[in-house]
Amino acid sequence: MTDVQIYMTMVVFGAVILAIAFDLIDMAVAALLGVSMLFGFNILAEEDVIAAVKTAGGPLALLFGGMVVARTLAGTGIFDRIGTVYLRATKGSGKRFLLLLIALVAPLCAFLPNATTVILLAPIIIRVAVALDIDFVGPMVLTAIVSNSAGLLTLVGDPATFLVGSSIGMTFGQYLRRVSLGGLLSLLVLIPLLPLLMPDLWRLRRPLPPRESEKPFQRPWFALLALTVLAIMVGLFLVGEDLPIPIGPPAVAIIAASLALLVIYSVRFEPVDNVLRDIDWKTLVFLSCIFFLVQAITKTGLLQNFSLKLYEWFGTEFTLAALSLIAGIALLSSLLANIPVVAASIVMVKGYLVAVEAVPELALGAHFTDWPAATLPVFIAMMFGGTLGGNATLIGAAANIVSVGICAQNGKPITFVRWLRYGLPFTGCQLAVSALYVLALFHFSR
Amino acid sequence: MGIVAACRKILIPTVIALFVLTCVVPPATAGDTLAQVKSRGTLRCGVSEGIAGFSTKDASGRWSGLNVDFCRAVAAAALGDAEKVTFVPLKASERFPALKAGVVDLLLRNTTWTLGREASLKVEFAGVLFYDREAFMVAKTGGARSIAELNGATICVEKGTTHVQNLADYSVAQGLSVTPLIIDSATEVANAFFAGRCKAYMSDASQLAAARLRAPGGPQAFVILPDRLSKQPFAPVMRRGDDDWVTLVRWVLFALIAAEENGITRDNVRAMRESARNPAMRRALGESTEFGRALATDPDWALRAVQSVGNYGEMFERNLGIHSPLNLERGLNRLWTQGGLMYAPPVR
Repeated sequence: MTDVQIYMTMVVFGAVILAIAFDLIDMAVAALLGVSMLFGFNILAEEDVIAAVKTAGGPLALLFGGMVVARTLAGTGIFDRIGTVYLRATKGSGKRFLLLLIALVAPLCAFLPNATTVILLAPIIIRVAVALDIDFVGPMVLTAIVSNSAGLLTLVGDPATFLVGSSIGMTFGQYLRRVSLGGLLSLLVLIPLLPLLMPDLWRLRRPLPPRESEKPFQRPWFALLALTVLAIMVGLFLVGEDLPIPIGPPAVAIIAASLALLVIYSVRFEPVDNVLRDIDWKTLVFLSCIFFLVQAITKTGLLQNFSLKLYEWFGTEFTLAALSLIAGIALLSSLLANIPVVAASIVMVKGYLVAVEAVPELALGAHFTDWPAATLPVFIAMMFGGTLGGNATLIGAAANIVSVGICAQNGKPITFVRWLRYGLPFTGCQLAVSALYVLALFHFSR
Repeated sequence: MGIVAACRKILIPTVIALFVLTCVVPPATAGDTLAQVKSRGTLRCGVSEGIAGFSTKDASGRWSGLNVDFCRAVAAAALGDAEKVTFVPLKASERFPALKAGVVDLLLRNTTWTLGREASLKVEFAGVLFYDREAFMVAKTGGARSIAELNGATICVEKGTTHVQNLADYSVAQGLSVTPLIIDSATEVANAFFAGRCKAYMSDASQLAAARLRAPGGPQAFVILPDRLSKQPFAPVMRRGDDDWVTLVRWVLFALIAAEENGITRDNVRAMRESARNPAMRRALGESTEFGRALATDPDWALRAVQSVGNYGEMFERNLGIHSPLNLERGLNRLWTQGGLMYAPPVR
């Protein structure tokens, strides 16, 4: 990429972000225009399209699969039933509603893809919010933030944690021992913030509507088959990669979507066209564009250039480097999809650690796993920055974009600024807690 | 009118203007690195912080040495001007992060071509620019006279180099018990050795000869033991995945070697384009436009490379050989026709 193209990339990306932030034009149109300009300036070439599709394919497949399965399940009445149980469990208290939301979303997102889980849970959360006569925007923002944060609980909880962990050869067990506690703390710190950021909701008391007798499933066979598809999807998410022929989460989502459409078609519940028409294509198009924009940013190599700067600024002061990484990567992840940010940061951090002679030069290769204990907190700092940074803005993570799309579909569009009102304080406190955790890791690794 | 409304009003003309602009911005061509170098107008070359004969900066700030000359030859071929090079001094440990991060376009820092580097670091080596071997330097008076006498000694080595591992491997293989003193940069290692902190200094033979030049008491106070250890073929290094750039750099090296083989020098290269006996050489020097086009440069790329720094032999003698303070034998760096290993595939 030429220097002119690097500048143009930054200008186009900045313009798209500003257009979205100030709500100048529809965010999908802004992103599409940005991508068109990158093609026009010859910044994105054929190989970039392939690279972007390679990166975006997984998340998009997960979203599409989740949307199809959720849309299919909607016809069974299962969301109404779970919603009723959830509503009863709140006892009409906003506080219980929010705490139960965290308890429901976090464990699922520790193992399942975040955005897909948000799609599956959103109909239930919105139903309960409507029944309690409250604005569901706050709870949906919280759902996305909890889903992103819960990704830190396990190595496979978020693509960013998996990417960093696998690049240094960290096992599932090692992750549980070294990182999960920090993830849990960054999740728990959300709770004391709820009365401050959602005070009306926290204090809310509503009488519950009288209990209605449960209606039987209208089409029990359809409900049974649709729930079987959901069970297959969740089961394959958990064990698919351990099968003799590994099936990754994106493939699982596509399989589940196909099976769900087959169920719809075979029981003649409704035309398949109706299901496909109800898919949130705008969210999918917007997310695709974001991946193309990020591909162009990655191609500039600006992030990788920082490896020697880190050496210049911090020398062998790993603690300072790690704290700066939490802040820097979080900032970038709040504006870009965290997967490419984290991928570029891994190159940067490995380069830094080679430059300071903490590891031999072969550590720049993909197969090096012999990382000294003193360097691990630096990588863990990247995980926190990459995963939690995305909570700050509505474009910071796929789950956020999905949440925004669902709210818009239900008549409550969320602006960039409204998201920031929740996202910034939540993210700031989470990053502060994770910084303390990383400091503790350094202390105990000595 | 509110700010948002005003922004909206200017947004559409701005977008249209930007689309028009896309028609006039020159597209990047060929490999990415070559396009970047051309766009920037300068080649960024990673070199050492100072190794006599390879890359050193004089008091006026001008760089010289074999590696420096090669960078200039590449700049002449790619940009048409041998002076359009920015030299980036790097410590050994910084060189690969700098290359991978794109801080430099080309790395010439006495870097040994090894399997580990090529396979693990995913870098490309253009070809061998200088064949070297590792050796030990000791004090002439009271120092060891063979490697065997270094048993139990402290040996100075530079951090981030292949020497650290090679010393460990050699000690095990030879049953030597030595204590390595690993120091940050080549200059600091030499200083430590001359200050008496180690009994011997292990490095490339050429680097030891360069360090000896600035020894307190003069070069004659130290000797380089005749025993040689690991092979050290130094090669220009590039990032993998940019075939056009790798091909250009590789063929600049081959053109310099082929020029020596064909008796083409800095002084006669222009005349030889017209009169060289070998028609292929004439074509390579610009008679044919085909090679320049294929390399995404122009027909005179090889002519300019030779004209700027001379052929390989001239570069060697000026920086390392009889015309230099190092006064090194050409040894393995002679042409293949003279019993050496320098061999260029046919430039045709």
